[in-house]
Amino acid sequence: MKKLAIGLYAAVTLALMVWGFYQAIYVAPDEQTMHEVQRIFYYHVPSAMVAFLFFAISLAGSIGYLAYRRSRAEWAQIADAWALAGAEVGVVFCTIVLITGPLWGRRAWGIWWTWDARLTTTLVLWLIYVSYLLLRRFAAGPQVQTLAAVLGIFGALDVPIVYMSNRWWRTQHPAPVFGGGEDSGIKDPAMLAAFGWNVVAWLAWGVLILALRYYVERQHQKFAEQDAQDALNA
Amino acid sequence: MDQRAILDHQFTVAAYVVTWVIQLGYVAWLGLKWRAQKREAARNQRSPR
Repeated sequence: MKKLAIGLYAAVTLALMVWGFYQAIYVAPDEQTMHEVQRIFYYHVPSAMVAFLFFAISLAGSIGYLAYRRSRAEWAQIADAWALAGAEVGVVFCTIVLITGPLWGRRAWGIWWTWDARLTTTLVLWLIYVSYLLLRRFAAGPQVQTLAAVLGIFGALDVPIVYMSNRWWRTQHPAPVFGGGEDSGIKDPAMLAAFGWNVVAWLAWGVLILALRYYVERQHQKFAEQDAQDALNA
Repeated sequence: MDQRAILDHQFTVAAYVVTWVIQLGYVAWLGLKWRAQKREAARNQRSPR
């Protein structure tokens, strides 16, 4: 039953991805000033939204780990697995944001990169979470999870700064598409639909790989626990 | 198609391809990790320490 539900979810996600791609490439009209290259927006913005969401999950997991590490070991391990899964899958999406953005910028602005507030804070966010993953991968000892949780919390503090950067400062990055005042929002219904479908599709895809990453991490924790138990018994 | 439109098209295709290469590459790496874990679990079951 569980396998059937996962298979069904994966099939629906795949269908959403295909539909989102079709909407972005074939249905949405060309934007008047940027023309075809504006279609990068349909992958770039949903990836950023999903990355922010998963960094928030990592934040919740990190707080949960710190809260339960002394009182409820099992809950703390579950929270830690969510923290790691959120950070890792968030980095995957954030990497896409940092590559697709300059591809668009090269055509729209004529440059690959500029050190404006939105781009720089996004790069800093990516670097913080990459350092989080490197810490988890290469450091050893009983304090690693605690240090990683603290770093994960500091990393998440950058998310609202990234989000607000093009509201607080004058940036070369385009103005906010949503929630940026009277002129913000997507006016064309076909463009709005293409954007909406891609948000739903990438969110569904992200949840699928997040769940897989969480499962793999939980298994890893159980093996490590078993190894420790065996070592004690030997 | 003028030169600008061709370049726009190439950059758009590049962005879409890069997105999918990264996503599928990550899923493949995750799948390999998962398979390695399953093998380890099966080995441990056959010869418990």
